[in-house]
Amino acid sequence: MTDATAPDGTRGRGAGGARGHGAEPEGLPDYVRGGRDGLGEAELAELERTWQSPPGFLAWFTHVNHTNIGRRFIITSLVFFALAGLLALAMRLQLAQPLNDVLGPEAYNQVMTVHGTAMMFLFAIPAMEGAAIYLAPLMVGARDMAFPRLNAFGYYVYLIGGTVFFLSLPFGLAPDAGWFNYVPLSSKEFSAGYGIDVWTTMITFIEVSALTAAVELIVTILKLRAPGMSLDRMPIFVWAVLVMSFMILFAMPSVIVASALLMMDRLVDTAFFDAALGGSPLLWQHLFWFFGHPEVYIILVPALGIVTSIVVTFTRRSVFGYAALVLAIVGIGMVSFGLWVHHMYTTGLPLMGRSFFMAASAMIAIPSGVQVYCWIATMWGARVRFATPMLFVLGFFAIFIAGGLTGVMVASVPFDRQVHDSYFVVAHFHYVLVGGSVFPLLAGLYYWFPKATGRMMSERAGRWSCGLVFVGFNLAFFPMHQLGLEGMPRRVYTYLPETGWTLLNQLATAGSAILALGFAITLANAALSLRRGAPAGDDPWDGPTLEWATTSPPLNCNFARQAVVQSGNPVWDRRRAEVSAHVGGLRTDRRETIVTTVLDARPHAVQVLPGPTPWPFVSALVASAAFLGLIFTPWAYVLGFFAAFVTFVLWFWPRRPWRED
Amino acid sequence: MEHRIEVDAAELSRFAPHDHPLWWGILGAVAIEAAVVANLLTSYFYLAAQAEAWPPDGVDPPALLWPTLVLFVLPLSSLTMWWAGKGSDAGRRRQLALGVTASVGLASLALVFRSIQIAEFDIRWDEHAYGSILWAVTGFHYTHVVSAIVGTAVVAVLAWRGYFTPERQLGVVVDTLYWYFVAGVFLPIYLVLYWAPRLL
Amino acid sequence: MRVCRLAAVASAFALAGCDGAGGVLAPASPDARLVASLGWWMFASAIFVLIVTLGLVLVGANLHRRGEPRRISFRASVLLVVAGGVAAPLLAIVAVAISGVVIGDEVEGPGGADGPWIEVRGELWWWEFRYLDEDGEVVAVTANELHLPVGRRARLRLVSDNVIHSFWAPNLQGKTDLIPGKVNLLYAEPETPGTWRGQCAEFCGLQHGLMGFVVVAEPPGDFARWLAAQAEPHRVTEPEGLAVFDRIGCAECHTVRGTSADGEDGPDLTHLASRQTLAAATIPNSRGNLGGWITSTHTIKPGAKMPSRIPEPEDLHALLDFLESLE
Ligand code: HEA
Ligand code: HEA
Ligand code: HEC
Ligand code: CUA
Ligand SMILES: [Cu+2]
Repeated sequence: MTDATAPDGTRGRGAGGARGHGAEPEGLPDYVRGGRDGLGEAELAELERTWQSPPGFLAWFTHVNHTNIGRRFIITSLVFFALAGLLALAMRLQLAQPLNDVLGPEAYNQVMTVHGTAMMFLFAIPAMEGAAIYLAPLMVGARDMAFPRLNAFGYYVYLIGGTVFFLSLPFGLAPDAGWFNYVPLSSKEFSAGYGIDVWTTMITFIEVSALTAAVELIVTILKLRAPGMSLDRMPIFVWAVLVMSFMILFAMPSVIVASALLMMDRLVDTAFFDAALGGSPLLWQHLFWFFGHPEVYIILVPALGIVTSIVVTFTRRSVFGYAALVLAIVGIGMVSFGLWVHHMYTTGLPLMGRSFFMAASAMIAIPSGVQVYCWIATMWGARVRFATPMLFVLGFFAIFIAGGLTGVMVASVPFDRQVHDSYFVVAHFHYVLVGGSVFPLLAGLYYWFPKATGRMMSERAGRWSCGLVFVGFNLAFFPMHQLGLEGMPRRVYTYLPETGWTLLNQLATAGSAILALGFAITLANAALSLRRGAPAGDDPWDGPTLEWATTSPPLNCNFARQAVVQSGNPVWDRRRAEVSAHVGGLRTDRRETIVTTVLDARPHAVQVLPGPTPWPFVSALVASAAFLGLIFTPWAYVLGFFAAFVTFVLWFWPRRPWRED
Repeated sequence: MEHRIEVDAAELSRFAPHDHPLWWGILGAVAIEAAVVANLLTSYFYLAAQAEAWPPDGVDPPALLWPTLVLFVLPLSSLTMWWAGKGSDAGRRRQLALGVTASVGLASLALVFRSIQIAEFDIRWDEHAYGSILWAVTGFHYTHVVSAIVGTAVVAVLAWRGYFTPERQLGVVVDTLYWYFVAGVFLPIYLVLYWAPRLL
Repeated sequence: MRVCRLAAVASAFALAGCDGAGGVLAPASPDARLVASLGWWMFASAIFVLIVTLGLVLVGANLHRRGEPRRISFRASVLLVVAGGVAAPLLAIVAVAISGVVIGDEVEGPGGADGPWIEVRGELWWWEFRYLDEDGEVVAVTANELHLPVGRRARLRLVSDNVIHSFWAPNLQGKTDLIPGKVNLLYAEPETPGTWRGQCAEFCGLQHGLMGFVVVAEPPGDFARWLAAQAEPHRVTEPEGLAVFDRIGCAECHTVRGTSADGEDGPDLTHLASRQTLAAATIPNSRGNLGGWITSTHTIKPGAKMPSRIPEPEDLHALLDFLESLE
């Protein structure tokens, strides 16, 4: 903390800083000079060596530190975002004219499916997971995640699965049955070829990565919090991550089961979804949406955490209604498991049953409203700093609330029977997805970029980007409400001129070009600021939570000494009291982090964490081969099972000398 | 700024075998797999509710003998697992090694029974949705048992080599947790696959 | 090519006389009218909530740009959260739920349905409409053009034996899916005579986009005459064309009642000439378009499940004469 107020911010090390790259000079890296948190210079240097991720290309595959893995998740997901966004532009181009032929129906359907699937499974969820993996351990004051190697495994699974999924597009093998892949359209009879198999196997595979991240985040949050950080002192963002993780835990299995059943229908001729043999196409819809609905809140919930963090920092106040916010987030998580049928209002289920889901769907407006109004109460009369993160949060307010309100409209059965599967729904979900997750993510990018890289992003570019994205977004998606009401169904590769949909579609296309420009500015801003940004210092925004208590970028070990916490805003406390409390007695020659009790975070053990290793990568490779094999033969299941098992044994095998203490 | 040490970690346990984060992690894995089983069984009932006859006409529900035997063998193997854990806690390495080995043996016996029973199914997986879900649930549990067996076999090897001590026994503890789950989850499966078609 | 199609289609527009845009917001049945007004009410309320909430955000955040920051009291904050975050949504929930149940019952209920029974079959990528009598026997089969009597509540049985489709005629009624292994019911009750477009709303593969249909609502007398005409078999006046139709394989897929053509894979063509459009409301029904459809099916509708044929010119003329005689 000595440095937080350093005027020139020299503490912060640039992204290209010496740490972890190239040979370490004889002396100490300059950021350990003078020690930190009362830990001496020499000890800190040893600690940093212990926690170092080895340099070099090959060693890249052995890294396990959560900061490395979290960063990779975020960057990879942004790449997938850009790719899926470009696919969206292709769709918009095709729809700019009636009977256009930029994309034929085959290509359009593949592009549409890959856009939707990639945005949901390869961008939105992993980006949130990445943010959580990067930030949650820092925010709870831990030195790493509970299972660093599993973390690395999850990343490779995501990387390989996502890459294969995207590569299917240039090879013309991409799935083309939409992101929810309804049977019987996706059955062998109506979709021969490998496209759907790519969908089922790669989606299942990527879910594995979401599940490992979820388990890991739960355990890290419940067990590795800094002493004193009882549950009611946890930052809202961490609560949100916890809820997201539990939602993943209980939602993903259902899509895994669904796609496993479909895989079997296609591969070994089972009859789960074949009405002629006693199966049921609606079973797919129930299983998919039992996952698919919570999925959208899995994306939303951490974004709400991001918004809260930013509102708190930029008003310089602790949030109003902490308990209400936590309850609201938990409430959203729980209620979201009871809404899935609102995606199936037109399937002919009994009206009484649907009415239950109609009321339940609208019910989500309460926790959402509570949050919105808690933020308003927090901001009321504060001297709000309108820096770029806060501007994106304002954009979030406008767009997310608009989308939420159309959500309440489509929750109404009779209204939804008109607009379901029309562009009205496309408008609804882009409002909530882009407003409710992309805006907060960009806000978070501007907010935490200095922490992760040691450099600020350009404010000017940020403002431009925010403005363009806001205007472009509304221009692109607002007209879609009307298109839907005028009868334009979604997922049509073209339309006839006599429908009168041309003008609104052209507006939408123009808007999406502006939108793309806005995003491109932020991406470029991030890339350029890596080297050129102004040095950030430890705590450029004056944030309240523990990630601001360490250097930027964080030390290899995160914290020279783990903090002991007395309130929900530990960094503000220390600044005021000029005292910081720490954990002592952790060894510096191996990776140790303190373990505390679940509810009130009393210290009760120390976890010794593993260091760099290539085995997670090897396991992920073998598992990928098994899943890819499943596209072609059921035997890949048996072979893959044992091959993966062997790599797991090698991964976990205790190496000598066996640990004695 | 003044720095104070308020918590001294030097004296805290570095092993905590019964309350290690990994124990929680395995609990998470168990929760996931339980959710998968719940989804599969719900799908079973959904398909049953849609069908005119369940099992379809001319198909007998699977015989009760073999699964009932499995129903007893799996808890028995949990018992040996528990006994092994007792030994491990007390530092009796032989008891540990014998216990886990016995569990592997018993579970393998359960696998044999399962295999015989699968061979006797009255319907193939590709004839009717009933056959599909019957095979799928059975296959899923079969995989579970196999993974519990191979995992525990590794624990057994380590046990015979004297790796585990009362502190350093996390592997035993988490493997036991998973084992209980695999044994326990058979009960709902048993009731649904073998009794539901008879009672409904 | 594209320009030609555009021109052809543009002329079709005038020809088909569709009432064009409007869809949900141009209701032509009591059901659609109820839902449209529900939509307007919800839209107005949503705009109101949006403006109030955003107004509060902006005012609250800008209040003390200059002066000293001041926090509103705990009680005022609680009031804000309870009013905006609990009471208002609660009100919305009650309103949405009650209106949803009441209106849902009304528009989805049989409501003394007295119109014809029609079986709607979703095909890969066209529609078959089978008019049934009270015993469920088929009276007439037609494709891609649904005729309804004004003022009667027609009963539609929605079925599919392939993938899921969804029947949507926004001016008349919300959509309902056609799901293999399941029969769904839908009621359609046009108030005024008119012609509207409908379209498949559930993604069903390659040509989901061009799986449209035309709805024609006509006074009951006209409807009855139309149905009687549709029920008639064809009386052959162009035997040469029919011979070509048989010879080049059209009969394998198409039925023309009254001839030996009894294929089942494609639309029933018995009264093709009475229809306004071709290929699931994609192009207007004219001699030129018929020829185009037969000879270059897949430029008009890529992937359509009909092979194109290029007969000798005189055969083509005979064929077109025959098709145009299918009154
Ligand atoms: C982040 C993603 C996200 C979020 C947050 C939401 C939020 C909501 N969604 Fe949305 N939804 C999707 C993503 C999301 N949705 C997607 C991707 C689909 C389509 C999937 C597909 O078909 O491909 C979809 C589809 C979808 C449908 C099915 C439509 C159809 O296919 O026909 C329905 C129906 O009920 C629905 C309802 C809702 C509701 C009630 C909310 C609520 O949670 C909204 C609550 C928020 C507010 C209401 C605003 C804030 C509150 C206030 C300011 C207080 C004042 C409020 C009132 C007085 C009401 N959504
Ligand atoms: C988080 C989720 C998410 C996001 C962010 C988006 C973003 C966008 N979406 Fe997407 N969309 C979905 C999720 C999402 N979508 C889903 C789930 C579906 C349903 C699919 C289905 O029906 O199955 C869908 C469907 C969908 C449709 C309907 C297709 C149809 O029904 O036929 C359309 C049409 O306009 C569309 C458009 C857009 C546009 C213009 C954007 C824009 O916001 C995108 C803008 C972004 C960019 C343009 C990238 C910017 C970057 C650069 C320009 C830099 C490039 C640099 C490098 C490559 C280095 N989307
Ligand atoms: C393999 C089956 C098959 C054959 C052979 C076939 N058709 Fe078709 N036909 C179809 C299908 C399927 C459609 C519906 C296509 C669509 O709209 O997607 C169709 C549509 C049509 C239509 C439009 C009907 C309407 O109401 O919109 C006409 C006219 C037509 N066919 C004429 C012919 C003629 C003439 C021939 C012979 C040269 C022929 N068909 C051969 C399957 C076939
Ligand atoms: Cu039929 Cu879409
Ligand atoms: Cu939903």
